[in-house]
Amino acid sequence: MAVVVFSSALAQHTGGAGRVEIEAARVADLVKALCERYPGLRGHIDKMAVAVDDEVHSDARFVRLKPDSEVHFLPRIGGG
Amino acid sequence: MQSIPYQAPASVSEAVALLGSDAEARVLAGGTDLLVQVRGGVRKPSAWIDVKRIPDLLGVSVEGDSIRIGAATPAAVIFEHPELQRLVPGVAEATDLIGSTQIQGRATLGGNLCNASPAADTTPALIAVGAQCIVAGSGGEREIAVEAFATGPGQTALAQGELLVAVRIPKPAARTADAYLRLIPRTEMDIAVVGAGVALTLGDDGTCTQARVAIGAVAPTALLLEEAAAALVGSRVDDDALARVAAAATAAARPIDDKRGTIAYRRKVVGVLAKRAAAIAANRAQER
Amino acid sequence: MSERKFKQVGTRPIRHDGLEKVTGRANFGADYSLPGMLQGAVLRSPHAHAKIVSIDTSPALEVEGVKAVISGRDFPIPTREGDRQQYGDVPDLANNVIARDKVLYHGHAVAAVAATTIEAAQRGAEKIRVEYEVLPPVLDIESAIAPDAAILHDDLVCQGPAPVPSSPTNVARRTLLSGGDIEQGFADSDVVVEREFTTPMVHQGYIEPHATVVETLENGNVTIWCCTQGPFAVRGLTASVTGIELSKIKVIPSEIGGGFGGKTTIYLEPLAVELSRRSGRPVKLVMSREEVFRATGPTSAGRVRVKMGARKDGRLVAAEVVMYYEAGAFPGSPVGAGCMCALSAYCFDHFVIDGYDVVTTKPRVAAYRAPGAPIAAFGVEQVVDEVAERLGLDPIELRLLNAVQENDVAPYGPKYQAIGFRETLEEARKHPNYSATLGPNQGRGVASGFWFNAGLQSSASVHMNEDGTAIVTTGNPDIGGSRAAQAIMVAEELGIGAEQVVPLVGDTESAGYTDLTGGSRTAYATGMAIIEASQDIVRQLRERAAKIWGVELDGVAWEDGRAVPSNGAASDVEPLNLAEIAAQMGATGGPIVAQAAVSPPMAGPGFATHLCDVEVDQETGKVTVLRYTTVQDAGKAVHPSYVEGQMQGGAAQGIGWALNEEYIFDENGVVENPGFLDYRMPVASDLPMIDTVIVEVANPLHPYGVRGVGETPIVPPLACVANAVAAATGKRFTDLPISPPRVLAAIDGD
Ligand SMILES: Cc1cc2nc3c(=O)[nH]c(=O)nc-3n(C[C@H](O)[C@H](O)[C@H](O)COP(=O)(O)OP(=O)(O)OC[C@H]3O[C@@H](n4cnc5c(N)ncnc54)[C@H](O)[C@@H]3O)c2cc1C
Repeated sequence: MAVVVFSSALAQHTGGAGRVEIEAARVADLVKALCERYPGLRGHIDKMAVAVDDEVHSDARFVRLKPDSEVHFLPRIGGG
Repeated sequence: MQSIPYQAPASVSEAVALLGSDAEARVLAGGTDLLVQVRGGVRKPSAWIDVKRIPDLLGVSVEGDSIRIGAATPAAVIFEHPELQRLVPGVAEATDLIGSTQIQGRATLGGNLCNASPAADTTPALIAVGAQCIVAGSGGEREIAVEAFATGPGQTALAQGELLVAVRIPKPAARTADAYLRLIPRTEMDIAVVGAGVALTLGDDGTCTQARVAIGAVAPTALLLEEAAAALVGSRVDDDALARVAAAATAAARPIDDKRGTIAYRRKVVGVLAKRAAAIAANRAQER
Repeated sequence: MSERKFKQVGTRPIRHDGLEKVTGRANFGADYSLPGMLQGAVLRSPHAHAKIVSIDTSPALEVEGVKAVISGRDFPIPTREGDRQQYGDVPDLANNVIARDKVLYHGHAVAAVAATTIEAAQRGAEKIRVEYEVLPPVLDIESAIAPDAAILHDDLVCQGPAPVPSSPTNVARRTLLSGGDIEQGFADSDVVVEREFTTPMVHQGYIEPHATVVETLENGNVTIWCCTQGPFAVRGLTASVTGIELSKIKVIPSEIGGGFGGKTTIYLEPLAVELSRRSGRPVKLVMSREEVFRATGPTSAGRVRVKMGARKDGRLVAAEVVMYYEAGAFPGSPVGAGCMCALSAYCFDHFVIDGYDVVTTKPRVAAYRAPGAPIAAFGVEQVVDEVAERLGLDPIELRLLNAVQENDVAPYGPKYQAIGFRETLEEARKHPNYSATLGPNQGRGVASGFWFNAGLQSSASVHMNEDGTAIVTTGNPDIGGSRAAQAIMVAEELGIGAEQVVPLVGDTESAGYTDLTGGSRTAYATGMAIIEASQDIVRQLRERAAKIWGVELDGVAWEDGRAVPSNGAASDVEPLNLAEIAAQMGATGGPIVAQAAVSPPMAGPGFATHLCDVEVDQETGKVTVLRYTTVQDAGKAVHPSYVEGQMQGGAAQGIGWALNEEYIFDENGVVENPGFLDYRMPVASDLPMIDTVIVEVANPLHPYGVRGVGETPIVPPLACVANAVAAATGKRFTDLPISPPRVLAAIDGD
């Protein structure tokens, strides 16, 4: 199962849970499952950049997850 | 830009006649102030009177006991003039500070004086060396001391129809030298936050016998400071005298707070520059 | 990868666009003209904050020569549909392009006029009657977040973790990152340094003002010529604002005279489109420098409080950073990125980073080189310096003790892959600048910086000419020498010289979709597409040689720009060079073309360490930069001259930000210094020659190891200069700019 690590800000929507294990094939599935488990995350994590195994994607929906993948949600960054 | 009629008279009298017949016509020298003002909508002249083709307004010459600089002479021609550099290094250094290499190819001494910016760099330097403005009008020529030429920001003693023809600087006496310093936050392409010009004469024993101190950008016009000069005369231009020059300059300054500097800062720094310019002038005089 | 021996990568060929640029032939935004073209002028708000009660544009039409007048009402009501996240919120963008109900800064566009001459357009604009209901301006963070503040947007509710205000506010978003136990961290520290810092709004100061020419046809097709970092962004955003179908818009980027992030959005294009549609004639709009300052995006003013604790042995233990960034008129300051960068160079077991995005009645901020990071680094890197001072440690030594390296966890979550921070510190320590003798009133500063490098989407196509030369086309305007780097990459793969490759900047119809030239992404992401397409070309060249020789593909190898027999096949044939193969394209399968597209993750972050020596005039407060050295991890420098140019340029801009640049607003919110005379960017003579040291720790995500280089170099200088001035004067400068009056006041203790 993939591990999602939440920032303290996002953990406000998970009842304080900072690490959550979840079964998902792709990031989109993971986001869906997370929002079902923690409805408060809706509208937040779906607009964020995502780091999967230390690679940061600005649009990660279809990135495949490995059984031991680690996932982080990050603010999006604008470049100059 | 709107089209504006343009004329380039070949003589002073022709220029004076043109100016006399149209109060809204403006003299165009290098245009480095004027074109910026017209583009910014600050001025709307009815006609350009380009004075760069009038021989009397062009060039630097050293004749008898004075140096004559034509009003339409560009800065670059002035500060590259070897004899002028030697005789009045402070004036040369002031012209060399204007803008940048490109600007100096256009910017004229007359334009700098007639634009009458309180921060104009050549003004304190010229006041320090006791320069006179030679002005022509329909009634002929007259002279105005540089310290009396600007009467307020953008205002001069020129009457309607008058033209600045040249600036006359008395040839410095023995053991006399000048210096000009200004402060800008950058190294070029900026307007003086503070400026100070000093000319002084040393006696054989190193005592200062005559001095003129002028400061710029700290009042509506550049100021000639009697008290600062008095602090130098009779001294050996030592630290004590320099401290008094600084204090006198600071006391005389009447600056404003604006985007280019604060009152407190300008007052302090005008003292610093006045004393530093005095020290440089004294060193130069010593070597003569 | 690291084994690969490069032949072209790392060389310094003359840039392909150099001749046109140095001879003035290159066309920039304002250089385009079309027959029958009208000139436009924009009417801008005289107030920083006001409701638009009414606009009467009809008097403008009475001016001779005026052909069209528009106001905000002539645009569709902006919706969030088709929001293109990476460029920000479309309704806000639309309202920034032209105000509808409210003006939110002095200079905000309210109407535009097109006429046969610029004078007629300006006269027309002056005739437009606008009735305003003036509201109080909101000009700094304090007053924006005060309980009785005038609210800019009635529907703005703060996003982010609690506690945040729940009623309409001027705080748009809170970002919070934390780890460990901050109280414990400070309790465990032997020294704690705490300071608050402020930085003013500053502008990118690109030389070329925004300019556009637009032509519309009867069938609704629109062509836009403009200077931009992203033609596809201009297309997408203009479509959103005008309601025109995206496919009817074609954007042709001109050469670009600087952008630094400021040309990643749109201002004039929708206005010119609408004026052109109404008049049926091409329309040109060009900003004056004053308009650029008043109405285009600078970067945020910021307030940053940093508290940092360390043990006696130099280990950093805990840090708390609270940041407020001004977004200007609409939400969207780079405070989120600032939060992610603030502590990312060092390992802290305990940290809190708390950021607030605050709206004020000032121009809407736009991206500026490493958006958000320099402001954070200004605070953090000064506090790091002070910690080192308090502990009696060398500032580079302290940084080395705490520097992040591969597999360390970043404060924003993931682990670092290969990064080159320590290498920059070690190179800086070895550099002669670090041991140069300092005289009286001189001081040395050190600071480091961190920045992400974007990935995003890129495409590239490569095709062969009949003579064996190649053309590479991408959708990235060349803002920092990217053409030369792109040609080098093609040349590397093909085994030819960079001068045998023509690099082209395509338009939105001749290049595949490509994201901005920005985010330090072009050499990395677009480079990947170019390399992939070039490798495809090489495969095709081998195929053609195999056909000519009558062997299988694996009987042909590609070496030094030639097909050579391999695996013992056709060993009796002479190698075929590119020209020989290209000459036979028709007989071997037709033209040789290839394209590739990528959407890679972000490149590994870039780190830099800078050194700065200054001298301070104790009597005037003037700071002179004596020496400046930048050391940066480029991953791999494709064209080292342009990497060095980026390092020097970023440092120069950062030094300006540190010493003299600032927007000066009067009490009504009017910018008092909207020109380069009083907005004091450094001039060439203000700076010493900036020395550069390129470190190369390969980015594992790129075939050559490239990581972006364009933004990182502006991150350290603010703090680096401040640290140097502190060393020279014994005073800490926590407010930018470190201008002569401020320095003198500190020295004199008043
Ligand atoms: C980028 C830049 C940098 C600058 N830097 C400096 C600086 O460092 N220091 C400084 O002091 N100034 C500076 N200036 C201002 C300007 O260059 C100088 O004041 C210059 O000397 C003006 O000369 P000009 O020949 O260009 O004058 P113009 O613009 O042609 O004229 C200025 C004014 O004087 C009047 N005038 C000119 N000649 C005469 C005459 N003979 N008789 C009567 N009226 C006349 C004109 O009608 C006009 O009103 C700078 C300007 C720019 C654009």
